[in-house]
Amino acid sequence: MNKYLAASAVIATAMTVPYMAFAQSETVKQIQERGTMLCSGHNGSYFGFVEVNDKNEWKGLDIDLCRALTTAILGDPDKNQIVPLSWAQRFPALQSGDVDVIIKATGWTMGRDTELGLQFSLPYFFGGTQFMAHGDLGITKAKDLAGGTICVEAGTTIERLAASYLQTINVEHNMVSYESAAELRSAYLANRCDAFAGWGPNLAVTRATEIDDPEAHVILSDQLSSEPISAAMRQGDEGFVDTVNWMLAALLIAEEEGITSANVEEMAANPANPRVARLLGVEPGMGERLGMRDTWAREMIAAVGNFAEIYDRNLGEDSPYKLDRGLNNLWSHGGVLYAPILD
Amino acid sequence: MAMTDITPAAVLVAPPSRFEIARGRFLKYGFGSPLAIAISIVVFAILGWIAWSFLDWAVFNAVWSKENVEQCGEHGACWSVIDARHRLILFGTYPFEEHWRSTLAAIAIVATVLLSCLPAMWQARRLAILWIVGFATYYLLMEGSLLGLPQVTTDGWGGLSLTLFLFAAVVLLGMPMGLGLALMRRSEMLIVKWFAVIIIDTFRSLPLVTTLFTAAVVLPLFLPSWLEGDKIWRVIFGFALFFACYQAEVFRGGFQAIPKGQFEAGKALGLGYWSILSQIVLPQVFRHALPSTINMVVVTFKETAIVTIIGFFDILASGKTAFGTADWAPYYIEVYLFVAAIYWVFIFSLGQYGEYLKGRMALSER
Repeated sequence: MNKYLAASAVIATAMTVPYMAFAQSETVKQIQERGTMLCSGHNGSYFGFVEVNDKNEWKGLDIDLCRALTTAILGDPDKNQIVPLSWAQRFPALQSGDVDVIIKATGWTMGRDTELGLQFSLPYFFGGTQFMAHGDLGITKAKDLAGGTICVEAGTTIERLAASYLQTINVEHNMVSYESAAELRSAYLANRCDAFAGWGPNLAVTRATEIDDPEAHVILSDQLSSEPISAAMRQGDEGFVDTVNWMLAALLIAEEEGITSANVEEMAANPANPRVARLLGVEPGMGERLGMRDTWAREMIAAVGNFAEIYDRNLGEDSPYKLDRGLNNLWSHGGVLYAPILD
Repeated sequence: MAMTDITPAAVLVAPPSRFEIARGRFLKYGFGSPLAIAISIVVFAILGWIAWSFLDWAVFNAVWSKENVEQCGEHGACWSVIDARHRLILFGTYPFEEHWRSTLAAIAIVATVLLSCLPAMWQARRLAILWIVGFATYYLLMEGSLLGLPQVTTDGWGGLSLTLFLFAAVVLLGMPMGLGLALMRRSEMLIVKWFAVIIIDTFRSLPLVTTLFTAAVVLPLFLPSWLEGDKIWRVIFGFALFFACYQAEVFRGGFQAIPKGQFEAGKALGLGYWSILSQIVLPQVFRHALPSTINMVVVTFKETAIVTIIGFFDILASGKTAFGTADWAPYYIEVYLFVAAIYWVFIFSLGQYGEYLKGRMALSER
């Protein structure tokens, strides 16, 4: 009898050990032992993504995603520590362990993915080249720019992109290049250009901060290019990539299912479908496969909201920047954001 | 000469005061001829116009409180941004409720620097005690956990109190290091001499940014973790070493001004190396090196702004963050002026202290 018990204990252990080893991420374990999550901040502010409010607290899209990840892993959005980093410093700081993850408007490039020894999450934001135009022209898309004057910054990729895009869609135009971004802006404001091209989020910031009447300018819906912005992690901890990816996925699924920070408890008490039940930890599955609690997504949504709430609060309609969701909408609303399948 | 010897005639020929001389010259050169009068009028009109425009913008048309921010227009300064964001500028991202600690810590640092400036404190032991107490007070207050206060890691330190701390630590640490390097460079032992030469010339040929970046970012990649320490200490040490290498050359200039005969005279009197150094040579070295030293210190105060490149929230970085949000983005000029005024107060005081020291030291040469 004793032998039988011992043997079954061995078998049980043998079955759980590889499973646990698969589920446990080294980084998540470190974060849980430390009790704080180390996220990247900025040595200043990067409009919409990383800012500091009047109470000296960090805010922004990237900060909210860090708070979401912190809630998922530690159950409390305030258990993160934002480490201010300059652009140049972010990757060495990640490698030396000063931060656990970089969520800092960082593009996913091949060089970073291979030579720098990083790995990237699913993109959570797509920033692309767009046009901003004077609102009184009454236009909404680049096709309407026919015959107009388009201004660009000289020698940038944006200049080439804008020229080839307008040629492709067959729009007759007159292109003027300026040496600096400031010159370009003042030329546009002085009505010397009908529209100018730039990185979407930067256009939105320019409109919200440097122009007296933001309502009088529109950002056209055309996306000339698109750069994926992802969270960056150290190579070699696949479990942590899974964690970050599913954190982002849970925010998107919550948006798809209409789960918000306001109604999350209601939805959990009375889940509309099995997907919602699993997401919110009413049915098991979310937690153990990542080595976390079953309810992590529910707590996370209660703390920071779903992806739409995070976006609108920091860049979208509830923010001063009013940046259209565009590509950054769910696939079902004409964007390119989608979540992997929650089975 | 006794007081009674002064006759009324002697009083009459007493030299005019400096103010009277200045006024006389002003009238003579400024309004002595029609051309001079015309030029003066034009110059004063321009100066007056500039001053008036500035006051008009900065004071008369300005909006002062954050509640009235809607009234901010194109014609006046919007000091609302300072009203709303001064705590961010002064304390960085230090937790809001704990700002009293950051304030006290900054006062401790200023007090330490002020006391170090008093001649009564200029003894090795007094200075050592003062600096240990001053910096320990700063650290204990800012970090907090040893005093049973909520812990704030160095990532959360920032603003004016971080700038003051970096500056004081770099100068107070770098000054003795610089003196040490200067003495080593004068050593008759070749190994010691060349060691100092290599250190000094290496760090002087590297940009400060590189030194700080290496200290903050590159060192932890290959240092064992027990030796790593906090980023802020590595940066202060790197910065102090950089300062010391320049300061060593300033001291070297001071040493060169002292005739060799003084060393020989000291030796002939039977004094040892350290006695000659501390009693005869160093007091003169300090006097000769003073103007350049004040210069170094002033430059260092301003150079602390470079630490933003390695992610520290010094006062300039926190100032930029203060207008780095949509609500306050248009009012960057006000923020820069506010930060500039703070820099001016500290650096002007340093310069004035330098003047005072010069006057005090000139006494020995009369």
